[in-house]
Amino acid sequence: MGVSPGLAAPGTDTALWVAERVGGVLETVFEAVAATRADTAAVLSRVTEEGRRPAGADLAALRPALHRRLADGELVSGAGFVAAPGLLADVPAWLEWWQRGADGGIRPLLPDLDPGRSAYSDYTHWDWFALPRDTGRRAVAGPYVDYLCSDEYSLTLSEPVHVRGEFAGVAAADVYLRHFEAAVLPLLRHLARPAHLVNARGRVAASADPAHLAGSLTRGPDFGELLLGGARTGAHGELRLVPCRGVPLVLVLA
Amino acid sequence: MGQDQRDGGARGAVFSPVDNRARVDTVVRRLGDAIELGLLADGEQLPGETELAGRLGVSTVTLREALMALRQQGLVITRRGRGGGSFVALPDVPAEDRLRSRLRGWSTEELRDLGDHWAALSGAAARLAAQRTEPEDLHQLRRTADALGQAADVPARSRLYGRFHVELAAAAQSARLTREQVALQGEVGALLCLVLADPAYREEVADRQRALLRSVQDGAHETAGPLAERCVRESTARLVAVRLTL
Repeated sequence: MGVSPGLAAPGTDTALWVAERVGGVLETVFEAVAATRADTAAVLSRVTEEGRRPAGADLAALRPALHRRLADGELVSGAGFVAAPGLLADVPAWLEWWQRGADGGIRPLLPDLDPGRSAYSDYTHWDWFALPRDTGRRAVAGPYVDYLCSDEYSLTLSEPVHVRGEFAGVAAADVYLRHFEAAVLPLLRHLARPAHLVNARGRVAASADPAHLAGSLTRGPDFGELLLGGARTGAHGELRLVPCRGVPLVLVLA
Repeated sequence: MGQDQRDGGARGAVFSPVDNRARVDTVVRRLGDAIELGLLADGEQLPGETELAGRLGVSTVTLREALMALRQQGLVITRRGRGGGSFVALPDVPAEDRLRSRLRGWSTEELRDLGDHWAALSGAAARLAAQRTEPEDLHQLRRTADALGQAADVPARSRLYGRFHVELAAAAQSARLTREQVALQGEVGALLCLVLADPAYREEVADRQRALLRSVQDGAHETAGPLAERCVRESTARLVAVRLTL
């Protein structure tokens, strides 16, 4: 996680430095997501140029790189491509999804996507799918309990995949919240005041403040507006707010 | 895709380790419910005995006893030799009769205890969800309650009923409560077909779920908990009433 030139070093304004570093932590995960997006777009474009519709088997070409990303990326516990329903010729819906287990083994996730048998077959309403589809931009979903894929409390980082201008699905990576906490807690502890990180809806993603635990809501400030506004800092009563630029998280100092 | 590899969601819970003194009964219920709910399809081959025993966390002896009981109920057939193994087999007896016969395997005391466990999970989830959710977080739960209000197919109703409680636990932001709820729905899900077949009761459940969601949305944790508990207790009481007629 690099620090950009000219950035305030700890001591001058520690809060800005911490917010930038938190953004950097997730930026490394977004790099993996962008690589999956590029790989997927290349596979789908090649198939389209051959004059046929892609099939589930075509996505097997993504596997070596997905396995490598799961083996290398400490933060990434799940990675893959989730097809838009109707994209593939042979199946109505598909997750080319791989997870690293507690034993370090890398395994495919093959959920039951038959609506006649599973109550969880439709994945298109989940934020990690709907946000990139609807905005055309990368997104951070969560924290949320991912009972579809991992049963873990997670963040999912995703990006839309487009082929010839058409939405084809999302490339994504899962970060379990406990791993995210391990990565950012040392940064939050640099701060003199109790600090926590919230998403655009005010849900706590990581905290060094016992009064604001992960999963709870910090009410009051409009964090979504602050993130859209582009200001470097904000305030709400006694709270000092610092957006983590590039990612939809806000550092809150109590 | 490989049947034994579908480890997501409710189906994943089917093969997770069981923890009960009456292990044979638990395995029979778990697999029998999965067959009734369609999580394991007619004709589907079960994993080999050693693998299945390992995944359920029981000895192969226990597993064989359970498979024997499932064969006696006509839910599994076992073929020997090359290409052999145990296969899911739905007999020609109406589903409701099979479910009644499965319910006979539960004592009313066990059903009462199951209801207590379920009410504890869903009551706690509702209280926490009321403190931790925003209106946007409740869209999916509302869709599930509406789908239950409209589902014509009885197994679909019981799947949606189970999904509502799993989503409620997820809205509480608790991975533990969610995992427990998925496992519990694996146990109770199929039996609920017996009480959700009644369209009037199905409507009542959907109404109760909507009332619960209003209270979660209002952040009224002191009313959300009891509403969730009441919804669960009512279903369990109906199940006990059916059991007493058998």
